[in-house]
Amino acid sequence: MARMKFLCDAERCIECNGCVTACKQENDVPWGVNRRRVVTINDGVPGERSISVACMHCSDAPCMAVCPVDCFYHSGEGLVLHDKDLCIGCGYCFYACPFGAPQFPQAGAFGVRGKMDKCTFCAGGPEVDNSEAEFKKYGRNRLAEGKLPACAEMCSTKALLAGDGNTIADIFRQRATVRGKGSEVWGWVTAYGRPEAPKSGPGGSSPAPAAPAQGGKS
Amino acid sequence: MRNDLIAVARSLVLLAGLAWVGIAAAQSPALNPQQAEQAKQQVMQQRVQPLNNQPVWSAVRSGEPQITGVRGRETNVLIQPEGQTWRAARVPLAAVGGFLFALTLVAIAVFYVWRGPISLKSPPTGRMIERFTLVERAVHWGVAITFVTLALTGLVVTFGKAVLLPLIGYTLFSWLATLSKWLHNFVGLVLVVLLPIMIVMFLRTNLFRAYDWTWLKKAGGMFSRTHVPAGKANAGQKLLFWLMVVASGITLCVTGLILDFPNFDQTRQTMQITNIVHMVAAMVGTILVAGHIYLGTIGMRGALDAMRTGYVDETWAKEHHEYWYNEVKSGKSAGEGAVPLAAQHRTV
Repeated sequence: MARMKFLCDAERCIECNGCVTACKQENDVPWGVNRRRVVTINDGVPGERSISVACMHCSDAPCMAVCPVDCFYHSGEGLVLHDKDLCIGCGYCFYACPFGAPQFPQAGAFGVRGKMDKCTFCAGGPEVDNSEAEFKKYGRNRLAEGKLPACAEMCSTKALLAGDGNTIADIFRQRATVRGKGSEVWGWVTAYGRPEAPKSGPGGSSPAPAAPAQGGKS
Repeated sequence: MRNDLIAVARSLVLLAGLAWVGIAAAQSPALNPQQAEQAKQQVMQQRVQPLNNQPVWSAVRSGEPQITGVRGRETNVLIQPEGQTWRAARVPLAAVGGFLFALTLVAIAVFYVWRGPISLKSPPTGRMIERFTLVERAVHWGVAITFVTLALTGLVVTFGKAVLLPLIGYTLFSWLATLSKWLHNFVGLVLVVLLPIMIVMFLRTNLFRAYDWTWLKKAGGMFSRTHVPAGKANAGQKLLFWLMVVASGITLCVTGLILDFPNFDQTRQTMQITNIVHMVAAMVGTILVAGHIYLGTIGMRGALDAMRTGYVDETWAKEHHEYWYNEVKSGKSAGEGAVPLAAQHRTV
């Protein structure tokens, strides 16, 4: 079965926060929680890059290792999901996660933690797929509908990729081979044709027909 | 007149121009050497290695705050690598702590089987001495109940996954863990109030004296079964006071408060370090409390009565705390509630 992963192409991310908004809207995320966020490095200086980050659905997930009630589980697609009925709101996953993915609605007195909320890769939770209960706790289960996560589908520059790890890695690799040579840009091949003479240097010999150039989703 | 107006307008334009130059200069990197140097390096990097983002990826892993549009605590930190350190420290520490606690329970059981309860050698006289006042007992029991609650709930959250979860299943254990979390978070506050009172109340009794050294060297005669005189508190109890109540207790209260209120914007790193300190102090405290509870209940006859009723028999006082007994008898320790015959007014 496919191993689902996220990949954010820092060369493409334009810090529009569309993914953050899409996620919040799609999943009806609790107040004070943003399952996804965009962080900008070297803001305002040459070399500025932005990266969108959420739960990375780790293979050896720290949250899973430290959870005192063992509420996390790996889904068939390798996603790290959790059972909010078991969660006690201790905050250990929040201490352990390097990406800052687990968050807690702090509506109670003295900031007491509620049930942990985090990105589900739009795959819901242990409840029946697309049931009312599942939506209330985890948001939409787009994967069960045969769709990919809303954040990646919404990404205007296709910087954020979500899907089978091998597929999105191939897309990224293809981008990397043509990067900086102009032909990666949308409409470039249509308007100007493919580069004629293969250039010297790594990757120069095969100007791959980039999928985005055809106007399709990558 | 017209010339004057033109002159004024000119000077205004000149002033505006100067102000603009001043503002522009203030923002210029040339006036901020460090930023200018960084920007220059970035420009060079872009020119020499246009697609080499190594500096960016180093910054990603640094855990330094960056820029983000999402509000919230530490949302501007892309990767916080210290969480891995916390996990790497916590898992083995918890294992060692759990092992030591289990070992303590086994050791107590073995000691009980081997030594049995420590009982009086001479018959009780029937004359009672007041050992603890009502307020002292109330504070002690308050601390005792809260500490035991905190220890048990802490043990459930820390070791329940390994010990209880396989036995009682996910749903039931989750209820138990939820209850434990709430009890731990709220009962902890009671301990924060009671513990300082207890420390002040029992401080004088637990100051070390010269004879405590002899007691320690002979381990109180617990193993050799010899009589070693002691004050109102023996050296073991004094050590327990300083280690368990003062050191472990205060550490637990302070770290507990930091962990209990995550709404004061303390960073994850603060809470990770605090959590480790809290866990180590809790294990030390819990292990010592286990020994204290043993000796205060089934391990020594008459000890529980002292804390329950406040009175002990004269024989008990003489055999366990001879110096204190002498002080009470000579009237020196009257301030501590020496009313030798008062006990006869009440039923034991």
